[in-house]
Amino acid sequence: MRLLDWVVLLGTLGFIVTYGVWKTRGSKDIEGYLKGDNSMKWWTIGLSVMATQASAITFLSTPGQAYEDGMRFVQFYFGLPIAMVIISITVIPIFYKLNVFTAYEFLENRFDLKTRSLAAMLFLVQRGLAAGITIYAPAIILSTMLGWSLNVTILIIGLLVVIYTVSGGTKAVSVTQKQQMAVMMGGMLVAGYMVVHYLPQNVSFGDAVAVAGKMGKMNVVDFSFNWDDRYNFWSGITGGLFLALSYFGTDQSQVARYLGGKSVGESRLGLLFNGLLKIPMQFLILFIGVMVFVFYQFNQPPVFFNEAAKSLVYATPYAGDLRQLEEEYTTVFEQKQQAVHGLVTALRGEDEAAIASAQQQVETLTNSAKGVRDEAKEVIRQATPEAEVRDTDYVFISFVMKYLPTGLVGLLLAVIFSAAMSSSASELNALASTTVVDIYKRSVKQQGSPQHYVTASKAFTVAWGAVAILFAMFASLLDNLIEAVNIVGSIFYGTILGIFLVAFYFRYVRGNAVFLAAVLAELVVLYCYYRTDIAFLWFNVIGCVCVIVFGFVLQPFVGKKGVKV
Amino acid sequence: MEDTNPVDTEKPLAKPPFFKSWSGMYWLVLGNLGFLILLFYVLTKVYE
Repeated sequence: MRLLDWVVLLGTLGFIVTYGVWKTRGSKDIEGYLKGDNSMKWWTIGLSVMATQASAITFLSTPGQAYEDGMRFVQFYFGLPIAMVIISITVIPIFYKLNVFTAYEFLENRFDLKTRSLAAMLFLVQRGLAAGITIYAPAIILSTMLGWSLNVTILIIGLLVVIYTVSGGTKAVSVTQKQQMAVMMGGMLVAGYMVVHYLPQNVSFGDAVAVAGKMGKMNVVDFSFNWDDRYNFWSGITGGLFLALSYFGTDQSQVARYLGGKSVGESRLGLLFNGLLKIPMQFLILFIGVMVFVFYQFNQPPVFFNEAAKSLVYATPYAGDLRQLEEEYTTVFEQKQQAVHGLVTALRGEDEAAIASAQQQVETLTNSAKGVRDEAKEVIRQATPEAEVRDTDYVFISFVMKYLPTGLVGLLLAVIFSAAMSSSASELNALASTTVVDIYKRSVKQQGSPQHYVTASKAFTVAWGAVAILFAMFASLLDNLIEAVNIVGSIFYGTILGIFLVAFYFRYVRGNAVFLAAVLAELVVLYCYYRTDIAFLWFNVIGCVCVIVFGFVLQPFVGKKGVKV
Repeated sequence: MEDTNPVDTEKPLAKPPFFKSWSGMYWLVLGNLGFLILLFYVLTKVYE
């Protein structure tokens, strides 16, 4: 990193943190601290909702995913706009009418305290783990690429977030997310322009898209139905809908964003803004990944994108094996580069036979290159058994560090730090508000002064920040932690959504029945997880439907405890 | 003393800025989704 990169990175982050603290100083009561005095306009809500969902991993992993798997991940978001409409029509007016601070507060009004506490505790456990991962996941990649200590990187991200989240509460989270979204989208657009700009002069943008298509990367929509296929139209439009309903309707880290709105209308517009722009935004990020893939058809990629992991192998007896594979990779790449140029020429000539022949040649050489890459990964695994051999998360950052000019490297790093900070801030703010409103104020100290609850909220924000930082620091000691947290999230989201859908739409079902139904639904989801190969997105549908069905079946047998709203 | 903004729950169905009713906004979002899926389908078919 050059001096200019440091200036851009530190200047951007310093400005956002200072602005957040200055702009939101002086919240004196819990209404102001946890709901931002209901002063947020729709564009602030919309950007805040988008920034909360866009974590650093969005910008690190998504281009890498497109590099490996093409554009099809965008289908994961097809259910999101429908969820935004449903939440705008039904959820927002009810939350506003009850003037709740958290989503779980509503469950006590509708059912009983135990259902509220169950949902709040599930959220705290799940989101508490996720907050650590939100910091850890980008920190491990950034520390590797920048040569920084992992713990120092974790501390930098964690402390920056805690400073302004403690100082200004919900409003600070929302106002800083506007700046962060501007940095994120500006940085990605610049990166997208640069990667196209760096294509060879005789390869146009149209040629690049055509090459990506012939190499299977423009697979945006797939209408074929397959239960085991993680990303297709059907899993996106149904599983994605249920996941988005759960996330935006019941997860406090998102609910807090729109509960701070000036009115029902402002909150609705904020969510609909997200419904309009989320898919184009994800498409853009994936498309940048595809363009990076095309770029590496004309410029040699490393055999393994995590250079730090490779460096460790060079210090072992396996160094010779790895270097030999790198030479083989270079030879295959040079042949493939010629073949891709041949494909471009064939595509311009619109000669179907020539295109098919060139495509066949490119495919063969791509498979050869993949074979060499797999062998290199095996050597790395043997030389350093603890090394992570999945390197797709390093594809985009590796391109940024190696090819972007001075200044833009700092800007793109600011994008990734901003994304880590924006989602972490929402999580810490939501964890603190749920702890104070649903546990502390409800069950521990009910008669405190407004100032007391603000102080308690700040203390819990610091405490959850410390938990997240500590968890992130110890995360590397546990195997498959990220995968475990993602699976836990998927397993519980459907059930929580089921509880909320029963609360909103099925007044016949009361507290005891929905509580038992939630327990049984969870058992069904766990059975599906352990005993079937069903893709994880479907767990959201299964858990939700089971809560509703079991609730109706059990209601006649378990009494009528619980009141209607 | 700082200004506070009381929650506007009295007008939950106030008109959105771009349409006469909220239904228009909802159909805009759903129509945009349909348009994007169609566009993506065309992209997939053209470039496969």
